[in-house]
Amino acid sequence: MTVSKLSIRNARRQAGDYLVYFVTIVLVASLTYAFNGLVFSQELLALSRQMAMVPPMIVFASIVVVGIISWLVAYTTRFMLLRRSREFGTYILIGLENEQVARMFFLENLAVGGCALCLGILLGNLLYQALRAIVLALFGMSYHFSFFFSGKAVALTLTYFVLIYLSAQLKSRRKIRKMRIYDLIYLERQNEREVVKSGRGRRVLFAGSLVLGTLGTLLLLTGDLAACLTGACLVIFFLYGFFISFASGVPAFFEKRPARKYRGQRLLVFRTLTAKLGTMGVLMASLALLFLGTLAAEGMGMVFQGMFQSRTNKNNCFDLVLAAEDPKVESYRDSKAYIAEKIPLKEDREYEIYLMDTDKIMAYTEVHTMYYRYYGRDAVMKESDYRALRAMLGYEDVACKPGQYLIHCLPYMADALQGFSEELVFGDASLTPGGVHTEVFAQHLYDYGNGGDFILIVPDALLEGYPVSHTMYVAMTREPVSEAQYKGICTIRDQIFEEREDPLEDSLLYASDMDEAQAASQTAMSVFPLFYLALVLTMTAATILTIQQLGEAGRYRMQFALLWKLGMDKKEMRRALRMQFAIYYALPAIPPVLVGAPLIRNMASQVEPGTMVGASDPLAITAMALGLFFLIYGIYIVLAYSSLKRSVLPE
Amino acid sequence: MLQVQNIEKYYGSGNHVTKALDRVSFEVEDGEFVAIMGASGSGKTTLLNCISTIDTVSAGRILLEGENIAELPARELARFRRERLGFVFQDFNLLDTLTIEENIGLALSLTHSDPGKVKAKVEAVAKKLGIEGILMKFPYQVSGGQKQRAACARAMVAGQSLILADEPTGALDSRASKNLLEIMTHMNQAFGATILMVTHDAYSACYARRILFLKDGRLFNELLLGEQSRSAFYHEILDVLALSGGDISDGI
Ligand SMILES: Nc1ncnc2c1ncn2[C@@H]1O[C@H](COP(=O)(O)OP(=O)(O)O)[C@@H](O)[C@H]1O
Ligand SMILES: [Mg+2]
Repeated sequence: MTVSKLSIRNARRQAGDYLVYFVTIVLVASLTYAFNGLVFSQELLALSRQMAMVPPMIVFASIVVVGIISWLVAYTTRFMLLRRSREFGTYILIGLENEQVARMFFLENLAVGGCALCLGILLGNLLYQALRAIVLALFGMSYHFSFFFSGKAVALTLTYFVLIYLSAQLKSRRKIRKMRIYDLIYLERQNEREVVKSGRGRRVLFAGSLVLGTLGTLLLLTGDLAACLTGACLVIFFLYGFFISFASGVPAFFEKRPARKYRGQRLLVFRTLTAKLGTMGVLMASLALLFLGTLAAEGMGMVFQGMFQSRTNKNNCFDLVLAAEDPKVESYRDSKAYIAEKIPLKEDREYEIYLMDTDKIMAYTEVHTMYYRYYGRDAVMKESDYRALRAMLGYEDVACKPGQYLIHCLPYMADALQGFSEELVFGDASLTPGGVHTEVFAQHLYDYGNGGDFILIVPDALLEGYPVSHTMYVAMTREPVSEAQYKGICTIRDQIFEEREDPLEDSLLYASDMDEAQAASQTAMSVFPLFYLALVLTMTAATILTIQQLGEAGRYRMQFALLWKLGMDKKEMRRALRMQFAIYYALPAIPPVLVGAPLIRNMASQVEPGTMVGASDPLAITAMALGLFFLIYGIYIVLAYSSLKRSVLPE
Repeated sequence: MLQVQNIEKYYGSGNHVTKALDRVSFEVEDGEFVAIMGASGSGKTTLLNCISTIDTVSAGRILLEGENIAELPARELARFRRERLGFVFQDFNLLDTLTIEENIGLALSLTHSDPGKVKAKVEAVAKKLGIEGILMKFPYQVSGGQKQRAACARAMVAGQSLILADEPTGALDSRASKNLLEIMTHMNQAFGATILMVTHDAYSACYARRILFLKDGRLFNELLLGEQSRSAFYHEILDVLALSGGDISDGI
């Protein structure tokens, strides 16, 4: 048996004893590799120029991940050193030098980390295919398997892991070198100290932290930057204050209320728990903070996703749209000429959007929806244009019945507008409502578009003499608009604008394909890193909680063996263990959920009206973020419970 | 072989100083089997730890084969522990990842001695201690008595000249204790191992040939087995304990 052989054997044991930790490192490695694959994928980055923003964002997220995982590794390494101090002491006692023991531990961790990394990269290849499928779907392309292996992605992942392990290993190496046998053999472990001792101080801290927590959450909900920063600080204070005071306060609570203490299995459950929690206050608070970070990242990711998705859904019907107040301006004219010359079209049409002399509908929608107005008066278009456009888009034909007008609007205001029953007067004709339509119709192009979120449609003759708001030119192309074509138009426009003193754009250019590509790129660049972070945060916190819990296995086993002898039956023991688990894992999750849920809902509600609808509804997003969090957390809890149950309860 | 000269040991600092050892001096010759007896808290473990280089003394000197262990550099100290000292603890201190055989052979193999001979050496020692049948098992698969015998084997497999045992029978039942003590006696007589054993139990102590009594960190008496029978020696020990206030040996 040599040092390295012993290291390998210990590594195998470590991977078994700290299986949850090992699995987490494997998963983190695979996530890191998969995202690094994205950074180096020529195929995906070539999908759009906008995709160039994806690699820096992912590298940035990776740096945060490296920080968090370094903490996890350092924490676990320290935990193992403490747990195994006696073992290390024995090595030194039988004549190993500290240096040799340090090398042994280093080799052991190298083996574990190396295996995790290799497995992670293998798994990461699968995960990368999943990411690739998502990206392709975002760009509306179909997935087909194509093998991908990037040496650069491996190298970058390896670099991250060296960074992660280096600091923890150097620290533990220094520690082992300085260790004295006496400390190793006789000081089995030194735990965190209770920070607050006196009852009064504890109560003040507890009450104070609750107040700060409520205040902080309210400040976070204001949406104002300074208030949010203050709120975030207060919430951090709250978490630490709460956990420090709560954990050490529970034993005191039950000391004063013996009747409650002796009810059912409470004594057992709470004694075991408080022994643990009393010394874990600071750690619990840090973990709660990680959970809050998870929820915030997931919520933000879903809000972004909803925003980008719905933005294209409001406009992406015509392949190309041009619009200008004055169709004679150079930018409009030249763009149109370029399209006519360079892009093969299936169909196109030029038409006017008019303004009424009242704002009745806008006033109504402002009251009944969260509408934000773009124009001074209600926008309206000719029935003939409307019908031609519907035909162009392949929508079912509709016509104004005599004496009626139609409304076409974004889905979010449809319900409200169904209830609009007023007559509208055009010259000497007066029209009644004839129906509401909600197909995608380029209605969210700010100052331009087919109205701002809604438009009226009336028989052509009635609009004689009404003022024109702007001219629209829409076209359906034979092929999807390519990036080169789009860039061609943009170059013309940019030249025109640059030559002016006042580079204000006097016309609008919109291309559905480009908008979709942009939304896809923006999703990839913001949503991916956020979910990457969220996953890593949850896994880190759940791993640390589980390591702590499994570290108590020996004590639990002795306790349950004794209780069994004392006549407690197995069903009751299982119940006690379950209760212990439930409380232990619920505790660090409750405060973050209480703060995080309103925060996510609020974030989703801050977005423009009509955006967060359907699956992106604020409530739905909150539910999904919580669901995702509890899903991953739950997996860890179930794993920990099943492994502890097996090793702790007597046969 | 071992000279302990006027050693003192303090724990703590400032106002909370505990004097665990107070000017303790004695000598152990080659091939002796010495027991140190004392009540719980009298300083036995502290004394043993100081001798075994696990702990350091506050004052005084400890010479092992003429060398002051306080002056040895760390590397020498490691070698010293490896080659000269064997340890037996109350709670065995075997590594549960290793089989009994590997536990015994670990120090040998880690010191780059000829790997081909390790197994043979381990087997030879195991046979002497009657544990050759459990060599392939892991510590959690064998009884306390067997574990302690494995610890003894580990303590002497490298030809260590001084075996230090801290309450080796503390975790064993009376039959296993008797067995272990007989084996230690055998180690001492047949292989010439020098043994220094710490105990609070008169029955264990009477297997030694000389007994030092420790109370509140000081040596206060010494008994020799001489030519008398073991049971006479046992009663003599009980007399000393009774004289010293009777609180030394609980459990009798
Ligand atoms: N690490 C320590 N710190 C402070 N006091 C100690 C420490 N170890 C032992 N002592 C004290 O020193 C005295 C002797 O302890 P010890 O040698 O363990 O006694 P024994 O082994 O005879 O039971 C006791 O009073 C004990 O409380
Ligand atoms: Mg002792």
